[in-house]
Amino acid sequence: MSNFASLKQRINVMCDIFHGIKTLAVVASCLIMTILCSSCFGDEPDGCEADIETVTLHVNNPGDFFFQATDSMQTVFSTDSVITFAVRGDADVTALSPVLTLSAGATVSPASGSTHDFSNGPVTYTVTSQDGKWHRNYRVNIVPTMVTVTDTLRYDFEHYELETATQRYYMWHNLLPDGTLGNDWATANAGYRISMSTAAPMDYPTTPLAQGYDGAAVCLMTRDTGPFGHMANKRLAAGNMFLGTFDIRIAMSDHLHATRFGIPFTDRPDHFTGYYTYEPGPTVQDFNGNPIAGRTDSASVYAVFYRNHDADGNEVVLYGDNVLSSDLLVAVANLGYVKPTTTWTAWDVKFEYRQEVDEQLLANRGYSLSIVFSSSASGGDFIGAIGSRLCVDKVRLICTHEE
Amino acid sequence: MTIKRIITAALFIAVMAMGMSASVLDSVHYDVRLGYALGGTIPSHIGKEIRGINSYRPGFNFTVAAGATYSFNEHWALHSGLRFELGGMDADSRVKNYDIEVVRGDESLSGIFNGNVRIKSAQRRITLPIQAQYNVNKKLAVRGGFFMGWLTNRRFWGWAYDGYLREGTPVGPKIEMGSEPGDRGDFDFDANMRHMQWGLDVGADWRFTHRWGAFVELTYGFSNIFKSDFHSVMPLRPLYGTLGVSYRIK
Repeated sequence: MSNFASLKQRINVMCDIFHGIKTLAVVASCLIMTILCSSCFGDEPDGCEADIETVTLHVNNPGDFFFQATDSMQTVFSTDSVITFAVRGDADVTALSPVLTLSAGATVSPASGSTHDFSNGPVTYTVTSQDGKWHRNYRVNIVPTMVTVTDTLRYDFEHYELETATQRYYMWHNLLPDGTLGNDWATANAGYRISMSTAAPMDYPTTPLAQGYDGAAVCLMTRDTGPFGHMANKRLAAGNMFLGTFDIRIAMSDHLHATRFGIPFTDRPDHFTGYYTYEPGPTVQDFNGNPIAGRTDSASVYAVFYRNHDADGNEVVLYGDNVLSSDLLVAVANLGYVKPTTTWTAWDVKFEYRQEVDEQLLANRGYSLSIVFSSSASGGDFIGAIGSRLCVDKVRLICTHEE
Repeated sequence: MTIKRIITAALFIAVMAMGMSASVLDSVHYDVRLGYALGGTIPSHIGKEIRGINSYRPGFNFTVAAGATYSFNEHWALHSGLRFELGGMDADSRVKNYDIEVVRGDESLSGIFNGNVRIKSAQRRITLPIQAQYNVNKKLAVRGGFFMGWLTNRRFWGWAYDGYLREGTPVGPKIEMGSEPGDRGDFDFDANMRHMQWGLDVGADWRFTHRWGAFVELTYGFSNIFKSDFHSVMPLRPLYGTLGVSYRIK
């Protein structure tokens, strides 16, 4: 008994000693690391980024110059190198002084605030990083824009090319009424590249189809996002295409807000037509990649028309989480159930109006329109069937006018 | 393969010791040790890309060792043995212009990261030290020599968070990273770690009684903990100190 007690006592003492050592060790190592690190941190390195982050135009009578007060300032995406201000058709753009904000420490030539004539086309600015090693060229356009009245907008998907900087994925251009090419169509292909750097251009979710209903078409396919996607529990990427912009900055941290639906629109859409084929993939999978028995994948084909400023006058775009539910929606044309078919099938959907259209606001670019296609309607929640394929061609937007 | 070599070497030393004459054996002492290590892996040099340490916590770093000391004379001796070490750390640092490459399967994502980087590591290691020992007096002995280590289990993982990546180059697309799994940039470099480590090992023993003593040990690895073809993280080397108690069996 006494032997046992003494053994127990010894063990207790040993435990105390080790506990003491451990505590001391933790404190000591924290101190060592702090001293070690604080003593040898070098001077802060110079910035290596060379972005224009915002551009602001100050003019004397903003109401006569801009369509909307919020048009005077633009936030520039990191992927953009062309910045365009659409201003009133009679605005004088011969002497304007854009004010630029840049990456920390970067410099720009010509200087921010310097005065230029924008009536002969864009002015090129060159930004140099603080460390002097990196440069970016930007073209700033200030374009007097006539509000045109159009009966039918045509989207035929004939103009596509590999993205200039990476040559890894396709992007599309729309034919503008004046015959030039616009950048109104966006896809999430740039986001797919984050997870699948080795994918070939035709293995992306959104690809061209050379033989469509009439000339080329666009094909959207739900794709596996590979090892990175699985690690992040974002296991698939639905093929999508929409009128608007894709914000790669938040594609990883806030993907539903990366799809910015809508471009300013000055006509009153009445109905929306086009041709499609749709083949759902074999197995719908849930968020965790497990098959959902008995469910067939569904596609999205719809168009929305909405007020692009809220009640407080803030500029608004619709996102993946409110494009069909926002209070600012004025009219929606939704094909609803997209019946699977392997032959080109026509659709014609009328816009259902929920609010009156204010003609004055319409003329001042106060409304936006988006057309949205997706190969998996629940792709935003990473639910869908890999292999689901929606092809779309010859899309028409037919508008009406006030007498 | 290499682990077999370590064990063979240890057995060889043991057999050598046993094979010696009785008088030689009288000059051999055996001890067991229990210690707690502090430290972990440190960069060869801390670049100016690392702007600060948000937190640093050592892991559960216990060491169990069995050693033999052969005395040549009153002052000089040779010390060797086998150590079983648990090591690990959890470091959280703030970085600017940090070159990062995350690889998974055939896919990779690389660029310049600004924000925070959390690094966790854990390993189990068998170490064979060979040290010359100098007995300063009856109580104090100092030791110095080399060690060879073999990692039987190695983990190195973490994530880049609350910041942004410039993909490819500083003028590439800006991609924000959040703090939650799925929003941040996770990495896992277990497979890129070396199995072998070697380096410098110095220590000191203080004997309280005939059998009980305390020891300190400082271990510094000469080899990068990562394989030479791996560049995703700056080169890191093991550096840790061990405090503990020793018990002389004979």
